Amino acid sequence: MTSGPFALELSSVTKSFGAVRALSGARLGVKAGEIHALLGENGAGKSTLVSIAAGLLRPDGGQVRRSGTPVSFPDPRAARHAGVALVPQHDLLVDAATVADNLALLDPLAPTFESARARRARVDRLARPSDLDLGSPDARVEDLPVGTRQRIGIAGALQTDPDVLILDEPTAVLSPDETAALFRALRRRVEGGRAVVLITHRLAEVFEGADRLTLLSRGRTLLEASVSATTPGAVAALLLGGAEITARPAPLSRSEHHAGAPSALSLGEFRPSGSPAPPVSLSLEPEEALTLLAIDGNGADLLGSAVAGVRPARGRVAVAGKSIAPGDPLAFRAAGGAFIPADRRAEGLVPGLSLAENLFLRRPPGRFTIDRDALAASAADRLRRFGVRASGPGARARELSGGNQQKLLLARELEPPPALLVAIHPTRGLDLASSEDVRARLLDAARAGAGVLVVTADPEEAQELGAPIRVVYRGALSPLLPSATDLGTLGRLMAGLAP
Amino acid sequence: MRLRLAVAVLLGTLAAATLLVLLAGASPAEALAALLRGAFGSRAATGETLARATGLVLSAVAAVVAFRAGVLNIGLEGQFLAGAAAAAAVGPLFPDLPLAARGAIVLAAPLAGALQAAPAVWLAETRQVPPVLSTILLNLVATAGVTWLVRGPLRDPSGDYPQSRALTDGALLSPILPGSRATSAVLVALLLAVAAAFILSRTHAGLALRAVGEAPRAARAAGLPDVRLRSGAFLVSGALAGLAGGLEVLALTGRLYDPFTAGVGYTGIAAALLGGMTPLGGAASGFLFAALGAGSSALQRDAGVPSALASVVPALAVLGLLLAKGRPGEVR
Repeated sequence: MTSGPFALELSSVTKSFGAVRALSGARLGVKAGEIHALLGENGAGKSTLVSIAAGLLRPDGGQVRRSGTPVSFPDPRAARHAGVALVPQHDLLVDAATVADNLALLDPLAPTFESARARRARVDRLARPSDLDLGSPDARVEDLPVGTRQRIGIAGALQTDPDVLILDEPTAVLSPDETAALFRALRRRVEGGRAVVLITHRLAEVFEGADRLTLLSRGRTLLEASVSATTPGAVAALLLGGAEITARPAPLSRSEHHAGAPSALSLGEFRPSGSPAPPVSLSLEPEEALTLLAIDGNGADLLGSAVAGVRPARGRVAVAGKSIAPGDPLAFRAAGGAFIPADRRAEGLVPGLSLAENLFLRRPPGRFTIDRDALAASAADRLRRFGVRASGPGARARELSGGNQQKLLLARELEPPPALLVAIHPTRGLDLASSEDVRARLLDAARAGAGVLVVTADPEEAQELGAPIRVVYRGALSPLLPSATDLGTLGRLMAGLAP
Repeated sequence: MRLRLAVAVLLGTLAAATLLVLLAGASPAEALAALLRGAFGSRAATGETLARATGLVLSAVAAVVAFRAGVLNIGLEGQFLAGAAAAAAVGPLFPDLPLAARGAIVLAAPLAGALQAAPAVWLAETRQVPPVLSTILLNLVATAGVTWLVRGPLRDPSGDYPQSRALTDGALLSPILPGSRATSAVLVALLLAVAAAFILSRTHAGLALRAVGEAPRAARAAGLPDVRLRSGAFLVSGALAGLAGGLEVLALTGRLYDPFTAGVGYTGIAAALLGGMTPLGGAASGFLFAALGAGSSALQRDAGVPSALASVVPALAVLGLLLAKGRPGEVR
């Protein structure tokens, strides 16, 4: 590691969005030759800080220095030219364009006029050296799974060979093997004298793979240290500081209470449209939870979304004993289904409506007109019980951080108690405390009588949930595995290898 | 923040208007006086403003209803024409029953407006055809339809001009301000604007509609009947524009001729934009546009300023508002 000026240094950075203060004096110093982990709870300002570093946002105050020289990036292109590239958490690819066109768009050096053949050749050129699966050059990005989209985003950022590569939560959608491969590739980069900044919530990754770390909390930098000079315990304590942690979920034990009740969910010869996999049959009883574990792109989230009716499908679906037509979210809801989608911003909440309106989208209090006092009162009560941190029920949903948005969604979906809850990546992008809280609430829902189907890509989460696991590989379901199955076995099954 | 924005837009528009008047070689003070005189200077002038406001207010409310549900209904012009044509078709069927003629018009015009929108609704919900495209094309169909109707089936056999038979004087709405063209139609428009505002902000259906309009996928996943809500709002929007066309015949023209409208449906969209996409804001802008329209002839006559200026100024105001509300060049 070199000493001297930082490759990239942000100091005393402030940034507000309307009345919300996202950063108030944040600092990030990245040295050449290091993998730098950026940590912090949801809403701590990590994404805002790196967006400023990469020219996506302009700071209200503070300084950005590149190798000691003050710089200001008016746009991402300027940052790219200065050798700083960001791969955002939610990719900014153009859905309707092909892989080849998206990679051309992400290449600041692409000629103004470029033949389709040259654009296709670029895909090959970027995919081959590191054996990346970027999908077919002519595939439309909207048809590709999240994991492939992420690889396209990273490959696009690497085209200019940036000195400072910033990855916003790259491992959230990766399997353990893919994560290890990513870290090996990043290590090779920094050994050549470049720097990598990595936002992650997984402390194990930080302590295995990073050199230094910066910890943000509520818009301020709390800690900047070498990984070797601190411990996971100390960092976890800082991360969880101030956040309430619920008790560890108790294991599920099915009571006889619901014996004889119809299955919460039963699927017969069920197949989401466009899935190449064989049809699926399964059933889930009340008070029973099931975890579908899969690397993104293997059809587990497609299966979950199709059960909830938001993707077209064929086959037989019954929720709480009521047979419903596949692909009909209204029928799914009417039968007692609840749904936490993978993309809470596009499929979960209505960002411009208030928290209260989001909570009571379907059945606001009042007969025909909305009883506004009752709405505010019951919303405030629910926000408190679900631990949503907000200025009040009148705040807009878009003002909340990711973790609080997810809690808001849970507050809507878990009341009144559903017969079936389908939750897809329920803790993706959430900090430790929020994740614990969300998992505990999912299990509480099962205890209260719901069948709970969780889709996740995180084997540790599958273990923590304590529910039986079925690994999904290319749309096919493994036999039931106990939640105590070791990580190695789960990882091999997720990768399609023999256990 | 909002107030500052409004003041800035107002000042900017005034400055631009002053400059334009000066360029036309007139005195800004005289021009303003002439404009106000033409819009509110007498009972007849005020009545003219109110008469013009009816169609604009209803069109603006129609635009708001559709836009808030996520439907870019650019077809208000065509729906307005469909309503006017329906009014001209059913009104003269009851020459001796003025009340029946009025009732038939008030029923037929919204229905025709909704029917004019229906193909675009169907195309949008079953074939993913963007309403912006389909409604613009349907406007052309409606314009051609009026041309054909007044020369063909609806032509007044007794007249020399290609126009429909006139309503009887008893069927025509009578003025609420004696000696002016203002009728109770403007009250109907206002009432509907208030009703739309109430429904959007205070009812279950209004909340669901706003959710579907802003985040259609989230609303659908949450179990809201998205197709029904969006289609319903689109049809209601068409019905409101159709009613505007019908009231134009019933209150002002008494018959259909060609060309029948000078862009009421498009101006309604501008008024809705200027009104911040709320029914009451849209109604207020509708009145503003009507006053400018009514005052524009006095502007030309008394101050020697081209009357076209009166439509340039509100257009500048809309552009200024969009400019001020647009975000600076940051990637959000």
